[in-house]
Amino acid sequence: MTAAGLFYLCQCISFWMVTMNAWLEPRYVAWIWRGFAMTLVLSASVIVCATLLGFALALARSARAAALRRAAAGYVLIFRNSPLLVQLLFWYFGAAVLLPDNVMTWLNTPHAVTLGPVTLDWPTFEFVAGWFGLTCYSTTFIGEEFRAGMRGVRGGQYQAAAALGLTRFATLRHVILPQAVRIATPPLAGQYMNVIKNSSLTMAIGLAELSYSSRQVETETLKTFQSFGMATLLYIAAIAAIEVALLIWQRRGAYQSGGSRFVRPGGS
Amino acid sequence: MSAPDWLPILRYLLAGAFPAGPLGGVALTVALTLASAVLSALLGLAGGIALVMTRGALHMLLLAVVGFFRAIPVLMLIFWTFFLMPVLLHIDVPGLATVVCALALIGGAYLSHSVQAGIVALGDGQWQAAMSLGITHAQALRHVLLPQAVRTMTPSFVNQWVSLIKDTSLAYIVGVPEFTFLANQVNSRLMVYPAQIFLFVGLVYLVLCGAFQWAVTRLLAGTFDAGGQTRSR
Repeated sequence: MTAAGLFYLCQCISFWMVTMNAWLEPRYVAWIWRGFAMTLVLSASVIVCATLLGFALALARSARAAALRRAAAGYVLIFRNSPLLVQLLFWYFGAAVLLPDNVMTWLNTPHAVTLGPVTLDWPTFEFVAGWFGLTCYSTTFIGEEFRAGMRGVRGGQYQAAAALGLTRFATLRHVILPQAVRIATPPLAGQYMNVIKNSSLTMAIGLAELSYSSRQVETETLKTFQSFGMATLLYIAAIAAIEVALLIWQRRGAYQSGGSRFVRPGGS
Repeated sequence: MSAPDWLPILRYLLAGAFPAGPLGGVALTVALTLASAVLSALLGLAGGIALVMTRGALHMLLLAVVGFFRAIPVLMLIFWTFFLMPVLLHIDVPGLATVVCALALIGGAYLSHSVQAGIVALGDGQWQAAMSLGITHAQALRHVLLPQAVRTMTPSFVNQWVSLIKDTSLAYIVGVPEFTFLANQVNSRLMVYPAQIFLFVGLVYLVLCGAFQWAVTRLLAGTFDAGGQTRSR
């Protein structure tokens, strides 16, 4: 047993060394970097849009009109309880059928927008479908975090604002929202991390983001450890960046508020 | 172009080629969910208890491992298990097992924080009361802390399991013939009804999630209310 076992062990180690020693060629490293850039661009545009829409959704869910409230609740129910992958496939394949032909042709032909020295190319249809699907999905989660933040503001605050003679809008703008945003920020950061992680699903509709390019490099070079390892590290770096930003925000906030303005039970 | 015969397609989507071939479709999605739900609950319980009981370097190591699984996309972990498990174990691991493994690891990592929080939230008094009765740490955990913590942990378990149903659709990427994979297959064969097919798929997932949430909530509520203080396994 020992000799054969030892031989086997040596084989394993040498296999490991060979695969680990050979790092990816610069060409393939560049592919993965390009994928990472795509992931960041996609996530950033989804985060911006989903935050704005999520805020509107949270307002709609606490609106006075019952029809609006019910419509918003239905939207959340549907988009939260079906898989993101199915939603992406629906937008990617379904849009081509549902949209009029001339819109599809316009979406599929390259366009460019020139803003002074910067020329922005119109993104591919894969990007548009992925961005749209991810935004629709993330909006429900971000909206629920905003709503939880608004409910976290205690009832006394509404009454105090009313006692001061503030209108409904002024109450929301100057009293409720500043506190709600503070409460909602840590869970929102968690949702932004989820957006980055979820953006990996757009590889299923052929968008060349980080997971897609690492898979492509793996197929081309057969260097599984290096390609997936690099992609994994880049994902962790992106997530860690959000975590650090949140920590900095919390430090600064604690310092500025002096610890007495927004005291709430269990708050930091 | 004549309308396709929907009944066999529906059957295919629900159970795959089952009696003649391997199980697939909705049935496989449910099986995948149940297997990874049980495994993730066990991993989460073990991880949470380990987070509570450890101190110092070991605790930091555990936190790093849990943090790693929480920071990477499920898809990336499925790649890792799919390509690495056969290399490391030197056996032919079916795609199904690698997906269950990846989902259980991710779910377990999320749940271990819920379990830890549930135990910590009970406060030191419970530990001290248990210690003063002269029982061991393990006994205190088993008979005093966990039965109480399980009640506060139930919602996070249910949430995690419901999101597991949605995450099983990622098995599509490594060719496991679950519901989404088959739907995509049917879509590329028919070519003309993508919107209807994926609407139907989304609706089925919606029903699955709703039914699962209702069943688990009822089951857990029944177990813990009927049993009073004892935790029936």
